[in-house]
Amino acid sequence: MQATKITIKSLAKSFVTFRGKVDVLKSIDLAIEPGEFFVLLGPSGCCKSTLLNLLAGLEKPSGGELYFDQELVADSVGKFSGPFERDISMVFQSYALYPHMTVEENIAFPLTNLPQVPAPEVMKAKVKEAATLLQIDHLLDRKPAELSGGQRQRVAIGRAIVRNPRVCLMDEPLSNLDAKLRNEMRAHLKDLQKKLGVTTIYVTHDQLEAMTLGHRIAIMNNGVLQQVGTPVEIYRAPVNQFVAKFIGSPTMNMLSGELSEESGHLYLQADALKIRLPAETAGSLRARNLKKVTLGVRPERLYVKSEGEPNLALPVNVIENVGPEYLVYSFHQHGQIVVRTPDEPAGDRLELSLEAAHLHLFDEQGTRINL
Amino acid sequence: MTREEIIKSCLIFATGLFLLAFTLGPFIWMIWISLADRADFLVTGQVEYSLSNYRQVLTAHSLHFLDYLSNSLWISTITAIIVTLFSSMAAYAVSRMRFPGRSLVPLLILAMSMFPQISIVGYLFEMFSKAGLINSHMALILPYIAWTIPIALWINMSYFTQIPLDLDKAALVDGAGRMKVLYKIIFPLALPGIFSSALLVFIACFNEFLFAIMLTIDYTAQTLPVGIALFQGLHGEIPWGNLMAASAIASVPLVILTLIFQRYIVAGLMGGAVKG
Repeated sequence: MQATKITIKSLAKSFVTFRGKVDVLKSIDLAIEPGEFFVLLGPSGCCKSTLLNLLAGLEKPSGGELYFDQELVADSVGKFSGPFERDISMVFQSYALYPHMTVEENIAFPLTNLPQVPAPEVMKAKVKEAATLLQIDHLLDRKPAELSGGQRQRVAIGRAIVRNPRVCLMDEPLSNLDAKLRNEMRAHLKDLQKKLGVTTIYVTHDQLEAMTLGHRIAIMNNGVLQQVGTPVEIYRAPVNQFVAKFIGSPTMNMLSGELSEESGHLYLQADALKIRLPAETAGSLRARNLKKVTLGVRPERLYVKSEGEPNLALPVNVIENVGPEYLVYSFHQHGQIVVRTPDEPAGDRLELSLEAAHLHLFDEQGTRINL
Repeated sequence: MTREEIIKSCLIFATGLFLLAFTLGPFIWMIWISLADRADFLVTGQVEYSLSNYRQVLTAHSLHFLDYLSNSLWISTITAIIVTLFSSMAAYAVSRMRFPGRSLVPLLILAMSMFPQISIVGYLFEMFSKAGLINSHMALILPYIAWTIPIALWINMSYFTQIPLDLDKAALVDGAGRMKVLYKIIFPLALPGIFSSALLVFIACFNEFLFAIMLTIDYTAQTLPVGIALFQGLHGEIPWGNLMAASAIASVPLVILTLIFQRYIVAGLMGGAVKG
């Protein structure tokens, strides 16, 4: 089946309460390509699930339009197709299996609602096919209560794929699984989506899931899209401080302060810390005539220096050994700086160098300054 | 066992025994009298046990016991079915759908049941007289529905709200309409609640006295409580044996129903729906 393209035009959602109108989604514009694995990423309460419910047809938009291919499925004026008419399926964080039905009945349930209910043997074959794909074909007679978390999640996915939907929506499907199982299922999901080629929208607050699963990621905060791009784009060039801090673990180090000239070098004075900026960075900052900036640098882009003049020097407070590498923490007045290094640092001071290519600069509003 | 545990189990045992005696005492008394051939056997000390009271109640045409019984069964059953149907649909709407005044509806319905029966029975009589319904099954079924719907609605609501909303969403996404969600997903899962509410409604109607005595005239519509209460008027003296035998038979349907339904009225049906 041809995969479906989703076009979202100025989509908005507000709720009316006794305390007045609350705008939860503010004019979202997005185009999701056919067959794409698209991830909506954001902290809890950023309304990514509301967006998913709008896509699913479980909520009506207050503004904007939503297209599946060329077909208008919802607008604010009155056009609204329900989930089934849109031919979407959904996997829930809570699995949402029907507890009184067996695994087979659970997976077959969407088929029983089709306008032309398939013959029992066709239905059985389809259920079997989906179950085999998910390696749960030996569990068909069980009830959900008799299954483990991972198995339940597989049943939920089976129910979502059994009728070959146009679009598959996933609302934090792996959040309830333990870490090991989550990794396993993640790889399995990615493989499954590739095999089926169905347009998939995946909501998560876990950046690791987003980075590993998505062809593209949309990062949301407070009902507003922050950035849309491939995982690499978002990691390498976050458009603002929110995205920069949200993606990456440990998070990007942020140092805010005033710029000052001293003997031909440009320095950033962040509290007690004085950072000498690399010459290239200094050049472009001078051209822009900025006074205050925030410097962002990822822990792995702070290089321990043994000779020459360092860009900055830090006291070492805590060293964590995380297997293949060390995380060195240095606490300062308003937070901490983390350095990721392959070798255990000696001494109680760390001298570091910076590379212009791996520095992120943000203005006072938190927006990226492209150098 | 420690001292504390001994005291604890003694207290539990004593309380249980007291409750048992308190509830079963009158019942046993009733059975005893119904089996004795004369009601004053304790005074005279002479007693013969027989089933003659039961035989009389069941066969004596003038007592109309079987008419009362069938009236009661019909009226209670029909009321329970209608109330269960409407209260479960209302409970579904109130617990699942978003509409203005959603939280007000259950409260208003509850407020209806706050009127004492006696305050409305006069007007009901007048209304049903005009409609020509006095002394018919409908004269009892209609007020019983209004009278029991609040309790059924509240019981069902409390069960429905325990069912995760994700199940509805999943079923809607899977293509089921609202009605199908109700009878395929919500109903089976809320079965304990629906059975308990249906049973309570049935018992309430089966035992109801005031409406029944005011809105009916003779055995064509009178229910068991009224019928049994009227036994005494028929014969001048109080026929204790017959009364007790009739009461004992009257409790049989309730006992049977409770025994049948108690296995449904258990928790644990929800296992495995959502994260465990």
